[in-house]
Amino acid sequence: MRSRRVRPYTLTGGRTRSKHHLLVETLISVPSYDPVLAEALMPESRAIYERARTRASIAELSAGLTMPLGVVRVLISDLATQGAVYIHSTAHTYSHDLSLLERVLDGLKRLPV
Amino acid sequence: MPKILIVGAGQSGLQLGLSLLENDGYEVTLMSARTPDEIRAGRVMSTQCMFHLALEHEREHGLNFWEAETVKVEGLGVSIAAPDSSRALDWVGKLDNYAQSVDQRVKMAGWLEKFEERGGKLIIHGVTTSDLNSLAGMYDLVVVAAGKGELVQLFDRIPELSPYTQPQRALSLAYVHGLKPRPEHPDFSAVRFNIIPGVGELFIIPAYTLSGNCEILFFEGIPGGPLDVFTDNPDPQEHLDRILSLMRQYLPWEYDRATEVELTDSRATLAGGYTPVVRNAVGELPSGHAVLGMADVVVANDPITGQGSNNASKCAASYLDSILANGDKPFDRQWMKGAFDKYWEYAQHVTIWTNAMLQPPPPHVLEIIGTAAAKPAVARRFANGFQDPSDFQHWFLDPDKAAAYLASV
Ligand SMILES: Cc1cc2nc3c(=O)[nH]c(=O)nc-3n(C[C@H](O)[C@H](O)[C@H](O)COP(=O)(O)OP(=O)(O)OC[C@H]3O[C@@H](n4cnc5c(N)ncnc54)[C@H](O)[C@@H]3O)c2cc1C
Repeated sequence: MRSRRVRPYTLTGGRTRSKHHLLVETLISVPSYDPVLAEALMPESRAIYERARTRASIAELSAGLTMPLGVVRVLISDLATQGAVYIHSTAHTYSHDLSLLERVLDGLKRLPV
Repeated sequence: MPKILIVGAGQSGLQLGLSLLENDGYEVTLMSARTPDEIRAGRVMSTQCMFHLALEHEREHGLNFWEAETVKVEGLGVSIAAPDSSRALDWVGKLDNYAQSVDQRVKMAGWLEKFEERGGKLIIHGVTTSDLNSLAGMYDLVVVAAGKGELVQLFDRIPELSPYTQPQRALSLAYVHGLKPRPEHPDFSAVRFNIIPGVGELFIIPAYTLSGNCEILFFEGIPGGPLDVFTDNPDPQEHLDRILSLMRQYLPWEYDRATEVELTDSRATLAGGYTPVVRNAVGELPSGHAVLGMADVVVANDPITGQGSNNASKCAASYLDSILANGDKPFDRQWMKGAFDKYWEYAQHVTIWTNAMLQPPPPHVLEIIGTAAAKPAVARRFANGFQDPSDFQHWFLDPDKAAAYLASV
């Protein structure tokens, strides 16, 4: 069971959009590491969570943790829904969308402790 | 809260996923090999004509988004071509309730978007067995709804229920605009079933596609015969031209309507074929976890009777009932077997009838088809059997019952 204290946060109000497009080159990272959350995760999710403390691509994670790509995608998508990891947009769209950035920051601030 | 993983975003997987989301307390993750945009930009996948009972399941869950604009199919017509290409027989039976065909590119793309809107988790990924092997333990239930793809290998074929070991028809089809109105019944649309004895069948199916309403020209050719000429994967225009020239040769009355047709789009043709099969619905992963197969994964019939999407819809409805009835209890192998058995009580009738229709018609079937030309009640019963093929056991499949029925009308 995941910790009940983790309040779902996402840009889209509780759901992961396929827009996220978890491509092999998509980068993910942990916005603010939470040891209590890490403790509460399933072993596979925890491994991803730990590893993504430094920004990593889906492919790297899959390779580094010897986990099938499909599994990594599912787990990352779950982690993203909880706000535990951040899925980076391509640098281009990201830098042009200030309101998106603000929402990300706002979401980050609201991350539970 | 049960966590359910569904693999495959087709008629069955999406319908189950969307209908599960209407119930509180289920966390539903769906894995699709393609994004909605990729599906829309892809090739046609089927002719997907669905009859009343299957459409009712979609309506029940508010999934009939295209109902208003989609042409209504109000009848089912049968013709038989004589050796001189004249029309030896021709009748149409009215359906009690209309059928409809919405291009799966339109429907599945739209349903995928709706799935996310309704709070489902969508992951775009072509799932491998090794993915499943690791994922299965993280979910309370894994449903494999991946159609005829490679994942079917997880499920053992049941030889006693699978009489064929090779494809029984070579399939080829084209979605077209510009087919002229049908002269025999200009006031309503019907699926037309043209039989060319010893050669195959041509279905003409009114449908709704990316560019509005259209018609699908769909040949089912006996393997190695004159209609089995699409294995070289011709380009779309050549594909259509071949279909038209075969129509001209074997079914001139249908060709007459088709002189000005054009493809609805550049991905509107398809050719192929597959072996009808029934599989064990409980698949075993190397990790020891069990997964439940659904719809085409476990019961795949030749499209000669147009039942696959109908079955997929009914399977999704039946599995939904079984899931809800199980509450918080574990979704173990025994539950899986029970869920499939409940669906098979119905699906067996479709398989038996469809497999029979792949054989040359026996004398009693020819008599039924012949009598239908004179007796609308017979035509009507045949047409309405497409929405619930379990009726055929009572009059169509057995020579004695057929004789008794024909004597009674
Ligand atoms: C030529 C033709 C004509 C037909 N005409 C009719 C008709 O008129 N009426 C009718 O009722 N039926 C018809 N059918 C049958 C009907 O199309 C199918 O039976 C029906 O779509 C099956 O539904 P399903 O949910 O089992 O699988 P599908 O609709 O095939 O969906 C499976 C989905 O899973 C996806 N998938 C596959 N492998 C993976 C993977 N590894 N990872 C992730 N996703 C995966 C696929 O991309 C697909 O989206 C026809 C079929 C054909 C081929």
